[in-house]
Amino acid sequence: MSGTAALDQPVAAARGTGETVIETRALSKVYRDFWGRQKVRALKALDLEVKKGEIFGLLGPNGSGKTTTIKLLLGLLFPTEGQALIFGKDASDVAKNERIGYLPEESYLYKFLNAEETLDFYGRLFDIPTEVRKERIEKLLKLVKIDRARKRQLREYSKGMTRRIGLAQALINEPELILLDEPTSGLDPIGTREMKDLILQLRDEGKTVVMCSHLLADVQDVCDRIAILHQGELKELGRVDTLLKVEDVTQIRARGMSPACQQEVRDVIAKHQGQLLGMENPTTTLEELFLSIVRDSEARPGRRAVEDQPGS
Amino acid sequence: MVVEQEVLPYLTWLTTGGASDWTSLQGALVRFGLAVGAISVLALVISYIVLLVRYGPLKAGDITYRTVVGGIGELMRLSPRRIYALARLAVKESLRRRVLITLLIFALILVFASWFLKSNNPQPARLYLSFVLTSTTYLILLVSLLLSAFSLPGDFKSKTIYTIVTKPVRAIDIVLGRILGFTAIGTLLLAIMGLASYWFVIGSLSHTHQIDEATVEKIAGPDGKSLGQTARTSNDLYHSHSVEVNPDGVGFALEDRGHEHEVTRDGDQWVVSGPKNLLRARVPQLGKIRFLDRNGQPADRGISVGAEWGYRSFIEGGTLATAIWTFDGINESLLRDDALPIELTVRVYRSYKGDINAPIQGTIQLVNPKTELKSNPIYFGAKDVKIDSFNFPRTLNDVAGNEIDLLKDLVADGRIEVRVQCIDRAQYYGFAQADAYIRLPDGVPWWNFAKAYVSIWVQMVLVIAVGVTASTLLSGPVAMMFTVSFLLLGLFRDFFAGVAFGVNAEGDKVYGGGPVESLVRLVTQKNVMTPFDDSPAVRIMQGIDSVAEGAMQALTYVLPDFSRFSRENYVADGFQIPTSATLQDLTTCAAYVVGLAIAGYFFLRTREVAK
Repeated sequence: MSGTAALDQPVAAARGTGETVIETRALSKVYRDFWGRQKVRALKALDLEVKKGEIFGLLGPNGSGKTTTIKLLLGLLFPTEGQALIFGKDASDVAKNERIGYLPEESYLYKFLNAEETLDFYGRLFDIPTEVRKERIEKLLKLVKIDRARKRQLREYSKGMTRRIGLAQALINEPELILLDEPTSGLDPIGTREMKDLILQLRDEGKTVVMCSHLLADVQDVCDRIAILHQGELKELGRVDTLLKVEDVTQIRARGMSPACQQEVRDVIAKHQGQLLGMENPTTTLEELFLSIVRDSEARPGRRAVEDQPGS
Repeated sequence: MVVEQEVLPYLTWLTTGGASDWTSLQGALVRFGLAVGAISVLALVISYIVLLVRYGPLKAGDITYRTVVGGIGELMRLSPRRIYALARLAVKESLRRRVLITLLIFALILVFASWFLKSNNPQPARLYLSFVLTSTTYLILLVSLLLSAFSLPGDFKSKTIYTIVTKPVRAIDIVLGRILGFTAIGTLLLAIMGLASYWFVIGSLSHTHQIDEATVEKIAGPDGKSLGQTARTSNDLYHSHSVEVNPDGVGFALEDRGHEHEVTRDGDQWVVSGPKNLLRARVPQLGKIRFLDRNGQPADRGISVGAEWGYRSFIEGGTLATAIWTFDGINESLLRDDALPIELTVRVYRSYKGDINAPIQGTIQLVNPKTELKSNPIYFGAKDVKIDSFNFPRTLNDVAGNEIDLLKDLVADGRIEVRVQCIDRAQYYGFAQADAYIRLPDGVPWWNFAKAYVSIWVQMVLVIAVGVTASTLLSGPVAMMFTVSFLLLGLFRDFFAGVAFGVNAEGDKVYGGGPVESLVRLVTQKNVMTPFDDSPAVRIMQGIDSVAEGAMQALTYVLPDFSRFSRENYVADGFQIPTSATLQDLTTCAAYVVGLAIAGYFFLRTREVAK
C-alpha cells in the first residue's frame, strides 16, 4: 500500500513546518439554553496551531469537543470566548471558505439531487466557471468511485457511497485546508483504507488536513500530529510517532529464524540483562486479512480463497 | 365599484404621494427611506443592547461595528451564479415537494365550480372572473406560504445548511436564492392557472342563440322605406336579447348580461355569433364631484341615508338636489362616433318600495360651467348599481330647443359639467366621485386579465419574501404563523391603522380604545361610546394601551396594504387596471423584497447555524 509506505518515510517528519493555517486562541464554547443559562462547557480554552501540509487529528471520546472545535473553525458556531483564525482570518469570515473543504459528520446533502447535480450545485456555490466545473466533477466522480452511480438520487445511496459523495463535494474547490469530521465512519474496511490513502495523497499534494475521529487505528495510520481532547479540555498534543514511541522497548522482526537461532537470541538477551517480552509468530491484522481476501476474490471470482492466505 | 380609490400617476405616487411636495412625507420613496432608516437604527440599538448584556460595552461595540461594516461589504458582493444555483435548488425542492399537485387541485376547483356558478347571474362574467381570480389568489398564496416558511427550517433540521454555509455563500445569497426560486416556481404555476382560468371563463360563458322567425318585425320609416328589422333571440343560459338588424341584414343582439352578439342574415338563415365584449377593460376618465342640496345651494356632500359606509352620499328626488361632476380636458379626441360617451352608476335608495322592478327616474344633462348653458336633459330610469351609458351627440339642443354644438357651446376652458338629478319624489340617488366618468377607448381585455395576474403575482412574491425572511430566524410552523399574521394584518390594514391611531382613513374617530380597553369592553359588555370613570385601574389600562398603540402605529408604517393589491375587482367589474397601479404594486413589491432580504441577511448572519 502506497499510503502506509508513505508513513514510514522520513518525509513525514519534514512536514508541518510551513505557515500556520489554523490558529485558535483560548477558544471556548459554552452551550446555553433558550434563556441563556449555561448547559455544557463543550470546549475550554483550546490553543491549537496547525501548520500547512500536515495531517492533524483531533482525538477523543464522544462528547469531548472534537466536532465543536471543527464547527467553531468553520464559523458554524460562534465562540463564547477566544478566537479561531483560519488563514489568518476570523472564522466568521465567509471569504475563508473559498479555500476550505468540509466533510460533515454525516453527509448532509440534498437527497433529491443525484451525484452529478450535487457536485454541480456545490461547484456553482464556489462560483467555478462551467468548463472547470465539468472537468472537476468528472475527476472527482472517478476519484471517489461513484462514477457508475452518478445519475442516481442520493436517497438511494448506501452509507459508504453517501460518504464518498460527501468527500467529493468537499474537494470540489480544490481546497487547501480540508476538515473531515469522522471521515471513516460508516465505511467498510476497503472504503476506510481508500479514505485513508486519499487523505495521505491529499497531504502529499501539499494540502492540510484536519480530521477528528474516535477510531484510534485510523488516526494512528494517517495523522502526523494529534490532539487528544477529553471533556472539552486538551489533554495531549504532539507528533504521533513521538507520542507512541515506547522508549525502553526494542522490537526485532526477522524472517527464516530456526528454533536454534531463536534460542541463541534468547540467550544473548539474557546475557545482557535484558528482559524478553515476547517472541512469537506475528498474526496479521484482521484488516490485512480481509483486504487480501477481497482483493483475491476480485482477481479470481467464484473461488473460496482462504486456503492460500499469506501469513497463515 | 373599484375605481373608488383614486390611483395616482406613478411618478406623483413615488415622489409626493399627491401632496404639494415631498416634504409632506407622503411620497412612496420618502416613506420607504424613512422606514428603512428607522428600522436600521432600531435594529442597531436593539442588537447593541443584547450584545451589551452578553459581552459588555467594548466587545458589543466591536461586534456591532464589524457586523454592520462587513454586512454592507458583503451585500455589495452578490454573486449571480450562486444565487442562481440556490434558486434552482429551491425550484427542485419545490418540485420534489410535489408542488405541481396545486395544478390538480386548481383543475378540480374549476371542474366543481362549473356546477355551482350559476349562469343566471345578471353579470355572469363578473361572477366567473371574480371566482377564478379569488381562488387562484388563495391557492397560490397558500402554496407560496408553505414553500417559503418551511424550506430554510427544513435545511436547518436536516443540517444540509452545514454544507451550504461552509461554502463561500453569503447569507444574502441564501435568502435571495430562496425568494427567487420560489418566485420562479410560483410564476410558472400562476401562468398555467392564468391560462386555464382565461380558457375556463371564455369557455363557460360561450354560447349562441337562435332567432325565432315569429319575433321578427320589419321596421319602416315614415316614407315606407325599410329601416331594418327587430327580433328576439331564443332564451339560452337564462337570457335572451332583442335584436336590431339594418336593411343590409347586419346587426346586433343588444347588450344583456354584459355582452352582445353579432347578428347577420345569411340567405334565409340568421347567424348569431358567440358573445362579444364578455370581458371588457373600460377606461374611465374621472371628474370632480360636488353637490347642490334640495334648495339648490352648494353643499360638500349629499345627504346620508344612514348607510354605514359613508363613501356615497345621496340626492333627494323631486327637489333641486343635484350631483355635479366637472370634467377637464374635453376635446374632440374624447368623442366617439361624434358623441361624448358618459357612463353613470347609480346607487338607488328607496324611501318607499313602490314597484320594486320599476327603475327610478332621473335626468342627466351637460352644462357649460362658465355660461351655465344647459343641454336638454335626458330622462333615464336607474336601476341599482347598473351602469347606464349615455352618448351625447356633437350636435344637440339646449333647454330652449335651440341647436348647439357640444364642444363649442358647452365646453369652457376644456371643462364641462355633467349634472344628474332624481325626479321621483322621496326616492334617492347615491353618488361618489367615481360613479360618473367619460369612457375612453377600451383597453385590451386579455392584457387587463394579465395585469390582474400581475397583482396576484405581487402578493405571492410578498408572501414568499416574508416567509423566507421569517424562516431565517423562526422554525417552520412559527414562521408560517408569522407570515399569516402579517398577511391578515395587511389585509385589514385600514382597520388596524384605525385602532392604532384612533382615527380612521376618512378622519373619523375610532371608538373602543386600544387592545386592552376593547377587551375590557368586550368582557364587561360596555358600549364603545361610553367613557370609563377615572380610576387607577383605568389609567393603567390606558397606559398599556398607549404603549401598544405606539407599537401598532410603528407597525403600520411597514405593513403592506394587501387589500390594495387585489386588483381583481377591476377585471371582474370590467374596468382597466391603470398601468400606474400595476407599476405601483411592482415597485412596492420590489421595495419589500429588498428590505426583507436585507433583514433576512442580518438574521441569518448573526445566528449560529449549528447547534
